[in-house]
Amino acid sequence: MLELINVSKDYQSPADTGSVSVLKDITLKIEKGRSVAIVGPSGCGKSTLLNIIGALDRPTVGRVLFDGIDLAKAGDIELAGIRNSEIGFVFQLHHLLPQCTVLENVIVPTLAGKNRFLRKEVEERAVSLLERVGLKDWMLHRPGQLSGGQRQRVAVVRALINQPKLLLADEPTGSLDEHAAQNIAELLVELNQSEKVTLILATHSIKLAEHMGQVLELSNGMLIDGATSK
Amino acid sequence: MNLLGLVKRSLLFYWRTNLGVLLAVMTSTAILTGALLVGDSVRHSLRMMMTARLGKTKLALAANNRFFTAGLADELAQKLNTNVAPVLYLRGIVANGDGTKRANKISVLGLDNRFFSLGPGKNPFGDDFSEGIVLNESLVARLGVTVGDEVVLRIEQPALMSRDIPITPDSDLSVAFRLVVKAVAGESEFGRFSLQANQIPSLNAYVPIKWLQEKLDRTEQANVLLVADDANDSLTVERANEAVRKSWRLADSGLELRKLDKRNVLELRSRRIFIDEPLTEAAMNARDGAVGVLTYFVNELRCGDRTTPYSMVTAIGKSADSNSFIPMDIQDDEIIINQWLADDLGADVGDSLELTYFVVSPMRKLDQKTTPFRIRRILPMQGLAIDPCLMPDFPGLADADNCRDWDQGIPIDLDKIRKLDEDYWDKFGGTPKAFITLKAGQRIWANRYGNLTAIRYPLAVKSDNEIKENINAKILKAVDPASIGLYFQPVRARGIKAGNQATDFGQLFLGFSFFLIIAALVLMSLIFVFGVENRTEQVGILLAVGFPPKLVRRLLFVEGGILALLGAIAGTAAGLLYTKAMIYGLATLWRVAVSGSSIQFHAKSVTLFVGALSAVAVSLIAIWLTLRKQVSRPARELLVGELKWQFFAYGPLSKRRIGLWIAALAAASAAVLLVVMSTGESGAAAGAFFGAGALLLIAGLGIIRFLLRLLTDSWSKPLASLAGLGLRNSTRRSGRSLAVVGLLACGIFLVIAVGANRHDPLADAHKRDSGTGGFAIFGESAIGVLHDLNSKAGRKSLGLDVSELEDIKVVQLRLHQGDDASCFNLNRAQTPSLLGLQPEQIRNAFRFTDTIEDARKENGWQLLNRNLGEDVVPAIGDNATIVWALGKSVGDELEYTDEKGRIFRLRIVGMLKNSILQGNLIIAEDKFVERFPSENGYRMFLIDADAEKADKVMEILSAGLTDYGLALTPAPRRLAEFSAVENTYLSIFQLLGGLGLILGSLGLGLVVLRNVLDRRGELAMMRAVGFNKAELKRMVFYEHGGLMLAGLACGVIAALVAVGPVLSSAAAQVPFLSLALIILAIGISGLVAIWMATVFALSGKLMEALRNE
Repeated sequence: MLELINVSKDYQSPADTGSVSVLKDITLKIEKGRSVAIVGPSGCGKSTLLNIIGALDRPTVGRVLFDGIDLAKAGDIELAGIRNSEIGFVFQLHHLLPQCTVLENVIVPTLAGKNRFLRKEVEERAVSLLERVGLKDWMLHRPGQLSGGQRQRVAVVRALINQPKLLLADEPTGSLDEHAAQNIAELLVELNQSEKVTLILATHSIKLAEHMGQVLELSNGMLIDGATSK
Repeated sequence: MNLLGLVKRSLLFYWRTNLGVLLAVMTSTAILTGALLVGDSVRHSLRMMMTARLGKTKLALAANNRFFTAGLADELAQKLNTNVAPVLYLRGIVANGDGTKRANKISVLGLDNRFFSLGPGKNPFGDDFSEGIVLNESLVARLGVTVGDEVVLRIEQPALMSRDIPITPDSDLSVAFRLVVKAVAGESEFGRFSLQANQIPSLNAYVPIKWLQEKLDRTEQANVLLVADDANDSLTVERANEAVRKSWRLADSGLELRKLDKRNVLELRSRRIFIDEPLTEAAMNARDGAVGVLTYFVNELRCGDRTTPYSMVTAIGKSADSNSFIPMDIQDDEIIINQWLADDLGADVGDSLELTYFVVSPMRKLDQKTTPFRIRRILPMQGLAIDPCLMPDFPGLADADNCRDWDQGIPIDLDKIRKLDEDYWDKFGGTPKAFITLKAGQRIWANRYGNLTAIRYPLAVKSDNEIKENINAKILKAVDPASIGLYFQPVRARGIKAGNQATDFGQLFLGFSFFLIIAALVLMSLIFVFGVENRTEQVGILLAVGFPPKLVRRLLFVEGGILALLGAIAGTAAGLLYTKAMIYGLATLWRVAVSGSSIQFHAKSVTLFVGALSAVAVSLIAIWLTLRKQVSRPARELLVGELKWQFFAYGPLSKRRIGLWIAALAAASAAVLLVVMSTGESGAAAGAFFGAGALLLIAGLGIIRFLLRLLTDSWSKPLASLAGLGLRNSTRRSGRSLAVVGLLACGIFLVIAVGANRHDPLADAHKRDSGTGGFAIFGESAIGVLHDLNSKAGRKSLGLDVSELEDIKVVQLRLHQGDDASCFNLNRAQTPSLLGLQPEQIRNAFRFTDTIEDARKENGWQLLNRNLGEDVVPAIGDNATIVWALGKSVGDELEYTDEKGRIFRLRIVGMLKNSILQGNLIIAEDKFVERFPSENGYRMFLIDADAEKADKVMEILSAGLTDYGLALTPAPRRLAEFSAVENTYLSIFQLLGGLGLILGSLGLGLVVLRNVLDRRGELAMMRAVGFNKAELKRMVFYEHGGLMLAGLACGVIAALVAVGPVLSSAAAQVPFLSLALIILAIGISGLVAIWMATVFALSGKLMEALRNE
């Protein structure tokens, strides 16, 4: 389903003093329905790798094949379409729209893609998903009225609204307390299984990583051999 | 929820920011729409004023100094099937009963009920048109009189022939009457009537036409016809002129065809003494055997030592008539004398006889000339030779009982008149004593008024009446009445044109408000961009969840569009209030700008729509430009809030220097524009001024952008001070920095540019090249002064105290009244008043800003003598007249019609810097007289006098020339009155610019506040590591103070360069001190705004920001 072949990412440093290599020659393959944790210390390139997988960034060199499509070569509009319909993203910060209710936040991604005309079905799905994560009673509230854990659950539901094949989560529990983090981790695993969605998350939390089927360790921009898998 | 729902949610949620955007759009819309509505209101008011002054009048025949029969009105009314009003229209002076208040240059109209039927309908005379005077409201206000009060009305007495011919006496120039004010004519009584396209009400006095005709001995005569449109609204000038051609009679041209029984001839003669040239040819061709006659008054006839004084001599055409005493073979140097003269001179056939006579020069000057002739024949004192009818009705001569009663304008030495001469006068009257050929007579006595005093037609077998009818018909058919001034002019169409092309106050106020609008738009953009920046993470998430950037931009654009639309709607309503405020300003504080005219509020729906639409369009462009940049960032950067840390993008070196390239390009373009301006292309000057200024501002901003880049590049060097840290911080948010700098720069530019263009008319007023021309006094009279005010004889003729006026020198100008083309007239003058002067008299006076050739170093006035071909007359005008009032420039032409109905063109050959001659066009006197021979005397005066003696001179001249209605003004005061208009415009400009600066300061405060709030976390960190609050405030202050100083410097430099030509000109009156104070005040207010915003933003518990991070 997802294959990275010799992917590297460099960033230009200020004042033309050279470039910094963030990812170095990454090659990996992830099968459909798997759950994968990418772990490593801060600055090792986890988020960059996730951004490249999630079509938010492009590699400097290498190929990113998603269902046979090379994301590195796809145009911006095509990438936006893929992000909208095939990929769900959960960030460390929830990034909910404060002007919208919980329900509206969930359905925001549907306003742009192929589902934008299926208002009724979309709303039913959103309500159903919110019910599954225990937020049905909160769906008409604003994000500001929710706890941190609740907001992140909304963000997870939002990521799933378009029934993506791939769910990416970048430090999804990074800003949560232990209890909330545990809840999110369980939710992600449960959704991975129930929704048959491939899950890749980046975290420096070993505890969270342990919930995943496979753990990849990243250090100085390179994958370390000896990945564990369940 | 759909996309629009999302937009709606955002609009409501971010209501504070959106309200700010809406208010800013509302402000710019209000100013834009308001400016356009001021234009609407002025145009509407001018239209109303035009209707008030013309009523239903569509066409006018204004023959001025020519008089036709009032019965022509009835004929035309019948032919044109409309109302035609005859008017006796004269210049006059009126004073209140005790003479303490007077009004010069008033219009005296002799009229009847037909005149009032052209107005709104009310007739102030009622049914009684027998006597009394009606004054209009302006005149009543000037004199402080009311109904029942007595006034003294002095009217210019129309002469039979031009007053410039000295033979016409100058003792009866005007006639005065004491009259009771019968009523006051307001607008509803047609009190604002005027044929001049001017919104300033003229001073009108109405008297019954019959009464006036009687008093002026002009029975059944008029000199103006006013015509209303016909029922089908189809009356044209052509149709009216055709009707004149069909209706006019010889009497309308002052001609009379009479039978001289004793001579058995018909004689055609003119009430104007000389037969008008256009009539001569037709009259001579009207019947075979017509003989031209030119009788002249000679001073002396000499044969050897013997002389005969003051006699009539006739030049007469040769005739095949056997009765004629002029032989066919007479030579042009031969003369035939009568026996009486032969006896008196002891002359015989073959003797030489000298004629001594006066020829006329300007200012009634007389040059005495002598021409020798050889006596061909001596006529016996009987029969045809005794013909007193050959003498025309010379005023002061024809009705004199004896020689000593002659009342002529020429000096006559009564001591020379002998008993013999008195006896001849008693016995033979004005019978000529000698005859020469017509050719010889026309050669030596040629003048511009005509070259025949009579034409004689022999009578034959047909009846007298038949011949008379025949001659009459032939002349009427051959002559175009337009050639003697009987032609209509489309006064209403001209009035409409004058109003439509009037000073566009809409554009003027748009110009005045330009920087204010820009300031509001920049403020709107800043608020909008701050709003978008606040939502960068939202934009990021929308992009992250698959919204294409285009869709996100569109969403934000729709938000902005809705705000712009709502703002424009609110702004349109506010624009109505803004317009009312501006009109109130024009009625009070700035009344000078509209010459005190009352401007009525008028809003056209199309203007409101255009104003609102323009504001929406401009706002949307600003929003779009803002969004293009904001949404172009990658989602991942937006999501982690990297935008907050945005510095200049590090591009290749060439991109970094783009600011420098922009600066160079803009500066070069500005230089080109300035060169264009300095070459004196007047039409481009104003545009070039703003263009160069704007380009230099862009150049300044480009340089500042480059400097900010240099500061960014210097990051590798360690910080040395808190001020350095502040300056480095200013490189963050380059867009904001540049917007603030730009706004301030615009404001400063405005202040300097406006200030530098202010004129102090009193400075250097004594200099020859100043706006006064170095003249101390400016004068205008209602009645033409005929004499030379520089000569002792002239002053003596006018009864002036010669000793008191020894040191003064007067330049006298002829005036043909037209439209006032000064800045006092809001209408576009169609045919400005013409002045005629002798260029030699005014050498080196005033200052030329432009000429057709580079004649500035020599005397530009000499260009008036240029021969530009037939029907092209060189003219000079004031800059304000040519550029602003006429919309012309040097080299352009204007079409005029002279008093003989001939169209000629005035070519503008020179332009004067703003001067006291504003409002008129000046041509050479000889060309003036050629075109307008019946304009008598001089009605404008430029007087050279010592400044200390000016008051005394004014007192003497005013008292001496009261009956001429002479009004004298110190020349600097007149110049100041013109400058006051311009300075008022500048005041408006400055006030609106000041409002722009307030918005600018608001923007600056907003930027400071925003910058500090954005950085509260890092400022809290600095506080945590040991900086105290005062140090932080100082750092923020340095950062924004630096920006403000950059803006100030940019604006000052741009403005100084742009107004360079003004600064370097000798006549510049730049108030450096006040400008410096204003700039200082702006600087201080800016710094205060920064300090207050800093204090506010850093108030509260700063350390909490650290915990939030």
